[in-house]
Amino acid sequence: MTPRRPSILLTGLLLLLSACAPAPATSPLASTSAEPSASIGASPSSAPTAAAAYPLTLTDDAGREVTLDVAPARIVSLAPSNTEIVCALASCDLLVGITDFDDFPAEVIEIDKVVTMAQVDVEAVVAAEPDLVLAAGNELTPTSVIDQLAELGLPVLTLYPESLDEVYADVQLIGAAIDRTDEATGLVDEMRGRVEAVAEAVDGLDRPRTFYEVSVFEGTIYTAGEGSFLASLIETAGGEPIVGDTLSTSIEIEDLVAADPELILLGDASYDPTITAETVAARPGWDAMTAVRDGNVVVVTDDLVITRPGPRIVDGLEALARAIHPDAVSG
Amino acid sequence: MRAGVAPRPLVRGPALTRAVVVLGGAGALLLVALVAGIGLGSVTVAPDDVLRVLAHRLLGIGASSGVSPSTETIIVDLRLPRVLGAMVVGAGLACAGTVFQAILRNPMADPYIIGTAAGASLGATVGIVLPLLVPALAIGAGSSVLGLGAVQLLAFAGGVATVALVIGVARSGGRLPSVTLLLTGYAVSSLLAAGVALLMFASGRALAAIFSWLMGSLAAVGWLDLAIAGPIVLAVFVVLFARWRSLNLLLLGDGPAANLGLDVGREKLRLTMLATLSTSAAVAISGTIGFVGLVVPHLLRLAAGPDHRLLLPASAVLGAALLVLADLGARLAGGIPVGVVTALVGAPFFLFLLRRSRRVVSTMPA
Repeated sequence: MTPRRPSILLTGLLLLLSACAPAPATSPLASTSAEPSASIGASPSSAPTAAAAYPLTLTDDAGREVTLDVAPARIVSLAPSNTEIVCALASCDLLVGITDFDDFPAEVIEIDKVVTMAQVDVEAVVAAEPDLVLAAGNELTPTSVIDQLAELGLPVLTLYPESLDEVYADVQLIGAAIDRTDEATGLVDEMRGRVEAVAEAVDGLDRPRTFYEVSVFEGTIYTAGEGSFLASLIETAGGEPIVGDTLSTSIEIEDLVAADPELILLGDASYDPTITAETVAARPGWDAMTAVRDGNVVVVTDDLVITRPGPRIVDGLEALARAIHPDAVSG
Repeated sequence: MRAGVAPRPLVRGPALTRAVVVLGGAGALLLVALVAGIGLGSVTVAPDDVLRVLAHRLLGIGASSGVSPSTETIIVDLRLPRVLGAMVVGAGLACAGTVFQAILRNPMADPYIIGTAAGASLGATVGIVLPLLVPALAIGAGSSVLGLGAVQLLAFAGGVATVALVIGVARSGGRLPSVTLLLTGYAVSSLLAAGVALLMFASGRALAAIFSWLMGSLAAVGWLDLAIAGPIVLAVFVVLFARWRSLNLLLLGDGPAANLGLDVGREKLRLTMLATLSTSAAVAISGTIGFVGLVVPHLLRLAAGPDHRLLLPASAVLGAALLVLADLGARLAGGIPVGVVTALVGAPFFLFLLRRSRRVVSTMPA
């Protein structure tokens, strides 16, 4: 490839980007993963107990201080995880703008889309007249967009949880922002309880070297990055994650063979039915791995909740634990 | 008209008519583009509402009744800087393209040809990726020099520094041979593109941001960007316009131009730096938008001939108009990169003109 002609490279990377994005049409919102979380939301009847003290100053995950003058009544969410947290706090009706990836809970489908094809339509955000914007960190919402919205005087909270503890903190943060502190505490307690149950169930069991396949594109293998949220989830679910590079989250096939996974979880099978234990075994070099030889290649259909850091991340954790320790963890 | 007496009349007879038609046409197109660009988008605003809001907010005339505050924000704080940004970028790129085509006497020349784009891309990519690699920088990302983001500053610096390097390498004994300049630019661009590719590979989530920058976007242009880039592009235009004679002479080739009294090496150096300033300022606020700087000068040579007295201002106006329209198209198509629109619409239109015009091969003097 000649460096002077980056177009081929760019096209490939664009395809990669679209390949990484969850495909709404085939999203695996199986009833098994949707059922338990339906009960997660706080009861709608529980009204806020004591009026929080507005104006309220909060610090978000990007370290920005945001002051809210009144309890927000019009919320724009720029990421599905944020939408799910707001709805789990019985405040779905406050949302006036969401993304075209949003698919849960079902009632959000009707809400106006201000993010399409991963592009934030800043004009549409402004036109929605929000009094709170919930952005996502790590460039999921581009920093330039966050800056632009903040400069226009909109209160923007950026959420970027990189661990279960940080998801709890973000639930509490949104709860504080929208005056749903009690609901947030209840939700976090329930999530903690389920996470502890998983941790107890896998405690003391063998920890198989686990490779989670996020995607394979043109020979580049993407998995959990070193120190990433996904890697920590696999650990909590009782596996020993085989990790890729911190930033690119990719791993060389040679390194993967050398790491010799005992268990391969096919997250990308959630979106692509052609990815199966058989097609994986047929890839050159893959049959050298213990997992492939022993038939421990498992299709995972819950990638969406495993990779979406909202309340249903616990569903994702339970799905991982079931895949890693099917005997110890019941559905 | 006593054409024989007046030395070097500005324009006369049919040429004057042609100048009026070309500039008038481009100007009218720009006006239409401005009205449409500010009125259309996610929220459609009637032209009279646009005028009322602009008069109220910018000139303090009348009251901005009938329009919601959010619509006002959209017009004044989002669309107006964006549309003006498209004007500045389009004008800057088209002028720079005109100049590079003249000094390199190469019809393939565009504003990016001697390394501006590669340098600016590397600068911007470093600006995007560095805070991810060095978390300490991310904390200071909100604050920045003069309020301009690190990405813009590094893009501008990258573009200018790369061309300075290319010129330094290509220059020999006060001469700046076009072929050496082109080849040096090519080699340095390749080197920097490798750096961009490496950073992209390691960029993780920021890949989307880098990609969108490389494709070009006017979505994030604010008043401050305009306040810096606008004067640079305008000042460069004025200086370039004042040097129309040199540009016309250079079309004859380095030798003949020197015989006619032009200090060719120095003049080419000066013009290259000017065009680079304009390009870098444009690219810093918009990313690398292709095609405008290549096609607009060619279109106008077909319509108006090679005289830079007309070519430069007409390029500025037409480049501005076309980029405003392309950005409008990009917005209406759901926020696709504006560079896609310029190529998607520009290339077939250009091919159509090539087919129609038999003079096309002579758009650049041989």
